[in-house]
Amino acid sequence: MKELDVRIETPEQRPRSNPLARVFDELVRFCRSRSMFMLHYCTGCGAIELPPAMTSRFDMERLGIQPMVTPRQADILLITGYVSIKTLKRVILTYEQMSAPKYVIGICSCTVNGGMYWQSYATAKRLDQYLPVDLYIAGCMPRPEAVITGMRELMAKIRDGRADSWQDYYRRYDWYLGNQQHLFGDDWQTPTDVIGEAEHYRLTGPETLGEHTALLQQHQKPLEPLKLQL
Amino acid sequence: MSIGTLALELLLMPLVAFVVGLAMVLMLRRIGARIQRRVGPPLLQPLYDVVKLYGKQTQISHGIVHDIGIVMAVGGYIAAETLLPVPGMDGIAAKGGLITLVYVLMVPMLGLALGVGQCANPNGSIGISRALTAMLAYDIPFVIVVFGISWHYGTTDLTRIIALQQAAGPAGWGAAEMPLLAIAGLIALHASLGKQPFEIYVAPAEIATGPMVEMGGKYLGGLFVMQCFQLYTASVLYTTLFLGGGENWILFLLKIFAVVAIPMTLAYLFPRYRTEDLVRLLWKWPVLIGLVGLALVMR
Repeated sequence: MKELDVRIETPEQRPRSNPLARVFDELVRFCRSRSMFMLHYCTGCGAIELPPAMTSRFDMERLGIQPMVTPRQADILLITGYVSIKTLKRVILTYEQMSAPKYVIGICSCTVNGGMYWQSYATAKRLDQYLPVDLYIAGCMPRPEAVITGMRELMAKIRDGRADSWQDYYRRYDWYLGNQQHLFGDDWQTPTDVIGEAEHYRLTGPETLGEHTALLQQHQKPLEPLKLQL
Repeated sequence: MSIGTLALELLLMPLVAFVVGLAMVLMLRRIGARIQRRVGPPLLQPLYDVVKLYGKQTQISHGIVHDIGIVMAVGGYIAAETLLPVPGMDGIAAKGGLITLVYVLMVPMLGLALGVGQCANPNGSIGISRALTAMLAYDIPFVIVVFGISWHYGTTDLTRIIALQQAAGPAGWGAAEMPLLAIAGLIALHASLGKQPFEIYVAPAEIATGPMVEMGGKYLGGLFVMQCFQLYTASVLYTTLFLGGGENWILFLLKIFAVVAIPMTLAYLFPRYRTEDLVRLLWKWPVLIGLVGLALVMR
């Protein structure tokens, strides 16, 4: 990662001496819940239910939910349908580029258990084996009302501070990476240095490192910037 | 004026600009929503967005110039606010003048260009090249307007321009005395805001919001704050030049909100121009109208 000169900042993890710290936490959590930028990475048919949820009939902007186009800006990753193995690679790359706190929502039954693609050899069956999913909205496809109800549930979770599954990705990275390697092969590598981030944010758990991350570190190549060509 | 009063004004003017700018962002989003027959965001939505973006737990920086670029983008506007007289507060407007203000208004876009440059994202580079081209396009009519105004009033001192207009009453406002320049100025102002139909450098579906593509967390938050300042600065400058500034805060707020609302109401009805069409449009119509207006003023 050094070649790209990407560095990540974090507030120092010192004891909270500010008497208003809890008030600020509460405020930030409230604002997080009322302002959700969603990156709808439209993988499958469920994406078709999002335009009605965003436009005049149901209008998600009332709840502060609006679409954003790059993972850097987004808070929520919506997986709207089946994820083929090829797609899943892109989903994971996208997820790792988002800045935390980030939430994943699996829409449609395909993300829950493979749905009608259960027998497909090329489709990931359960999304939460590869990414930490905060919320599933089941249905084939769920109607906009269901999508909005799901969003409201996520808002409630964020407000109560229960939506912290993004930390789980750092704490149990070995398990997630193992599942990813099982699907993509042993030479699977993403541009984001998840272990480095976990250490930087002090989010390492007992399962951050393990046999799969050891395998990753054996063949991990440092990233090189893309060559500009006309 | 004592040092203390001046310091207080320099502190208050950007703060007021930020609060009014948040309200303007809300108004824009509400206008967009109403035109699309939606309800639109709640009252404090722009504030929620900014607090949330600053409250992100991981902040991804691409280097020191990336950080400084955002500071320049916001700081340029903060400097501009202190040069813009508002009712009851002149700040350093009398010492700065119109020329300094025009100069300072270019700083944010250049800062953004620097910051985006270090992100090394091709979409960002395309976006910022488009943004600078657009700046070249709308700055020509803008400079013509500024020249006409200073010629007409014989001064570049904004406080003096306001005093002259207020002494003459509504019939002596810049918009009444120089209607052609006012029209050219309104088009240039609209283009400078980077909203529909002049938002080619943002183009979310095409180049993934251009300059903002690598901005997340506090960087995007900085750009949100910058947008608040941008709307405020553009509208206050227009009000100062053409609508007689503010007699009191109520009239002042009415004028600046109307200045933003009128072009934006039209804006959402049009698809966006491509870069070359944008340059052609802005170098043809506002420049032509502005030059005719200038000829009438200098006659």
